[in-house]
Amino acid sequence: MTNEASSTVVTEVACPFCGLACDDLSVDTAGEALAVVGGGCAKAQAGFARLGVSHDGASARVGGQPASLEAACAEVARRVKASAQPVFAGMALDVGGMREVMELADAAGGVVDHLYSEIGWRSTRVVQDVGYVTTTLAEVKNRADLIVLVGTDVVSKASRFFERYVWNDEAMFEPAPAARRIVYLGGGLNTAAGQSPDGRAADVFDFDRARMPEALSTLNALLAKQPVSEAAPLGIELARWQALVEALRAAKYSVLVWMAGDFEPAQVDLNINAIMSAVRALNVTTRSNGLGLGGADGELNASMVHAWQTGYPMRTSFASGIPLYDPVHNGTARLVEQGETDTVVWISALNDKTPPPPEAKVVIAPPTLKLEHEPEVFIPVSTPGVHHVGHFFRGDKGAALPLRALRATRLPSAAKVAAAITAQLKEVSA
Amino acid sequence: MSVIKLTGGRVIDPANGINDQVRDIYVKDGRIVAALADGDKVSAEYNVSGRVVMSGAIDMHTHIGGGKVNIAREMLPEDHRGDPVARTEVTRSSCGYCAPGTLAAGYRYAEMGYTSCFEPAIIPMNARQAHMEMGDTPIVDTGGYAMLGSDDFLLRMLVANEDQKSINDYVAWILHSTQTLGIKVVNPGGISAFKFNQRKLDLDEQNAYYGVTPRRIIQTLTRAVHELGVPHPLHVHASNLGVAGNVDTTLATMEAAEGRPIHLTHIQFHSYGTEGDRKFSSGAARIAEAINRHKNVSADVGQVLFGQTVTASGDNMSQYRNAAFASPKKSAVMDIEMEAGCGVVPFKYKDQNFVNALQWAIGLEIFLMVEDPWRIFLTTDHPNGAPFTTYPHLIKLLTDRSFRNAMLDTINPDAKAMSNLAALEREYSLYEIAIMTRAAPARILGLTDRGHLAPGAAADIVVYTENADRERMFEKPDLVFKDGELVVRDGKVVKVVRGNTHVVKPEFDRGIEKKIEPYFRRFHSVRMNNFKISDDELCECGGGSKLIPHACGKRS
Repeated sequence: MTNEASSTVVTEVACPFCGLACDDLSVDTAGEALAVVGGGCAKAQAGFARLGVSHDGASARVGGQPASLEAACAEVARRVKASAQPVFAGMALDVGGMREVMELADAAGGVVDHLYSEIGWRSTRVVQDVGYVTTTLAEVKNRADLIVLVGTDVVSKASRFFERYVWNDEAMFEPAPAARRIVYLGGGLNTAAGQSPDGRAADVFDFDRARMPEALSTLNALLAKQPVSEAAPLGIELARWQALVEALRAAKYSVLVWMAGDFEPAQVDLNINAIMSAVRALNVTTRSNGLGLGGADGELNASMVHAWQTGYPMRTSFASGIPLYDPVHNGTARLVEQGETDTVVWISALNDKTPPPPEAKVVIAPPTLKLEHEPEVFIPVSTPGVHHVGHFFRGDKGAALPLRALRATRLPSAAKVAAAITAQLKEVSA
Repeated sequence: MSVIKLTGGRVIDPANGINDQVRDIYVKDGRIVAALADGDKVSAEYNVSGRVVMSGAIDMHTHIGGGKVNIAREMLPEDHRGDPVARTEVTRSSCGYCAPGTLAAGYRYAEMGYTSCFEPAIIPMNARQAHMEMGDTPIVDTGGYAMLGSDDFLLRMLVANEDQKSINDYVAWILHSTQTLGIKVVNPGGISAFKFNQRKLDLDEQNAYYGVTPRRIIQTLTRAVHELGVPHPLHVHASNLGVAGNVDTTLATMEAAEGRPIHLTHIQFHSYGTEGDRKFSSGAARIAEAINRHKNVSADVGQVLFGQTVTASGDNMSQYRNAAFASPKKSAVMDIEMEAGCGVVPFKYKDQNFVNALQWAIGLEIFLMVEDPWRIFLTTDHPNGAPFTTYPHLIKLLTDRSFRNAMLDTINPDAKAMSNLAALEREYSLYEIAIMTRAAPARILGLTDRGHLAPGAAADIVVYTENADRERMFEKPDLVFKDGELVVRDGKVVKVVRGNTHVVKPEFDRGIEKKIEPYFRRFHSVRMNNFKISDDELCECGGGSKLIPHACGKRS
């Protein structure tokens, strides 16, 4: 599969360090750490450099003391078995890791919660309430004529969005990419990437992003040809809003982009609902689509696997022997706060930056993760796409990318650790 | 070594012409053998005398995996609450009625005696996800058909008038790259047309951008599949799904195959006339007559059964239109990766609704008027017409005329008056049920070692206690063996095994990649090499599934 440019550089590598999962990276494997030498971005370079080492000397710990992997897994199994309500949190995993954690969580009668679920469940509520009309990145690359970024600049989280999908050299259909029109809704965004290659600045609707529901209501009112009483909603002349509505109506394939994590948490479903309302109104006469981007830290790996195996999205409890979905009740923070869980197991193979909550008694993560407290059990694991092969869902749901093994390590994968704990758990139970 | 003997069963094995003969069946290491060799010791004997023995059933068209199915799951927690699957010593927990989790789907299929299921709408770019979901569908064998016909690469080839050989190479490349068993076309060219804001596309209507017609796509792809020697004919979801008057489109689609093999899927949804006060009528008689006459044509029915379900289709043009009828009122429509699209619309079929009741009758009319059970397949297009768990009920409707007529008396009276169902006397025999659920799907998919019980076949075997109430009989087999392992006893899973993945690997000229690779770099979102699924990767996606390639006899 690999096209080796030289004996140590691997090309067409897919990157697991943000939701775009760019697959055009060249990674040099010669040094002690992996080096991105083509494609990629700062986040990719840092991720491959930091995690792309062999982690020699890392060892599992129980009670702060070195322990064998087997002993550490047995200790986790014992704790999970004794727990009244275990919670498996973090979940920055590839598909294979998530598959094994699901089996563990079911056997343990636990709850599975990704680090972005507090936003994610609100996004999911939109498909449960009204549904959506959306598109994927390859369609944007070839068809989009008007791109509206709703409360996000995308690039702060997924830096190569414009490079890879907007300002391309060519597109299959009209218009030429350089002629695309970019609009930002909301102030305080990094709009530089929205400037066209020939120097055309993006159209920025500068307002307080916490007032996004008002902005989207204004657009929806104008789309529905309803009167808007204010002369300048959110301090922007009505004529500009009206011009945007006319541009959306005239566009052949407009795309309204959001990142749920960039909305105020309490407004996530409200805003996406409003975007969908606009998109549906536009589709009566032309084509328009939403594009929700996310997927960093394996968010979609976790949500996809959870949904296909159990039927339900995350924040489902397996405590009673059948899955019970309650995303408000089953959030890690709430369960911890209310004293409804006695065991938080933090599992994260892709993210070594986000600290686990102090209540996490078990931490299964790369050895580079800095811990504020020594957990009762720590098991170091390897990283998918760095040390072992795997799969990663891109943030638009358009593709699952294959991940490569680029660096040897003696550390086990999160999948292997989860499977070992499940096996121990079943032995304890038997 | 494991040796199993099933003693004294009434064997129904249409692929080998065996109709209700008492025979012993021997299984050695997962395969059926004619007799035991010297020194073979029977490790388990099952006395099945008086009971009906068939091979494992095969669902050749069921939406069990891939993006759109997962959207349906996420969309419908209200569907799942009433249908949990509890964790047991051997099974994991899961749930869902019309959009079940993969675990629930695998267990329930096995518990009904199904041992192979095929996902009919795999968007090439989404093939990994489909294989992952099928890999997490326990017990049953799986496989799928890759969707072409609205992909920009093929449409550009047609515009450029590339020769048939190049198109065949591309089609074969797609089969290899996606690890699939056949090619499906959904609303030929229509999904692409929808992206250009066309809202309908008749068989001879041009795509606004490419100028290509659905007829040309069908001609080209039926020929490609045939010439590559892929056993399964082009699997066609025809134009104008659900539209009154689409029977004419469907008949013309059969003709468009120009005598080459063609499979028309969920044909019930494509068999509507425009007669009567409500301009909606049954086209079943014309469809059945055409299938009876055209030996190159096969079809699965996509029977509608009453109740709540969800429709999930690659046909986003139709699903966008149908979103107005969603119940509950929500829908998801997607354009996907320059290849295809999808649409998910929950729907409740009501027996007192004229259209729904007539759809129910039309499906049954087609079943009963198509003469050859080898060319008509038992499906509900799960979950589009009804969930697959309704199959035993559907079998009862086909095998029991008095039951059928009693049901007919309860539906919308205007629909009843528009249907000739009451006059249809046919009752399917067990032998014919075994053809349409076992022997025929295996034959039309090229699965030489499934769907029958001759020596050499995989030991996918089901044992039923005969019951005059065929619904009771088929919903709960006594024993189900998968590759020789006892997986179900008295309708409950007793052991979980991992099924195999069925694929075809037709010969082709790899030089086609010289055209495909730059296309990916210029226009796609991934590199060609990251699009292709290797054998090793497939097995990883499938969680360790064994890959079974089936032979293709090249015809050009």
